[in-house]
Amino acid sequence: PSKSKRVSGFDMAPPGAPPLPVAADAGQLPGIPQPLTGIL
Amino acid sequence: CSRLHNRPTISPTLLLSNMYHRPDMITPGVDAQGQQIDPQKIQEHFEDFYEDIFEELSKFGEIESLNVCDNLADHMIGNVYVQFREEDQAAAAVKALQGRFYSGRPIIVDFSPVTDFREATCR
Repeated sequence: PSKSKRVSGFDMAPPGAPPLPVAADAGQLPGIPQPLTGIL
Repeated sequence: CSRLHNRPTISPTLLLSNMYHRPDMITPGVDAQGQQIDPQKIQEHFEDFYEDIFEELSKFGEIESLNVCDNLADHMIGNVYVQFREEDQAAAAVKALQGRFYSGRPIIVDFSPVTDFREATCR
């Protein structure tokens, strides 16, 4: 069976792009709930 | 947990802190761009991660157990616990993992006192 799918995330250095938001690291605050459209 | 736990100088078990980042970690079921994520995609993402870790850690010794916390509460979020059969295998893994990156984030590795995950509660 072929097992060549994706590359491992190991040794993937931080990209030039900004990292994850700070709130994500703290692992809290699920943010604002999604508005339910079409329901009153 | 938030309490300070003792960190043994040697142990067959390692803790990789905050290593697993769910794609929907900000809002459950929704990605960072606000798009809905297929639950199957989240599962695949998790399995890919688990496989990555397992493959990499297997290089250092036989893995007795591998636990990934994918909870969304801040308690133990994203922590990965890996128990090797032998302490020296764990020590080799610590040495090899320190200072490396996983998916753009530094790997934070430490020995953990846990040896039995069924009994692993904070006391």
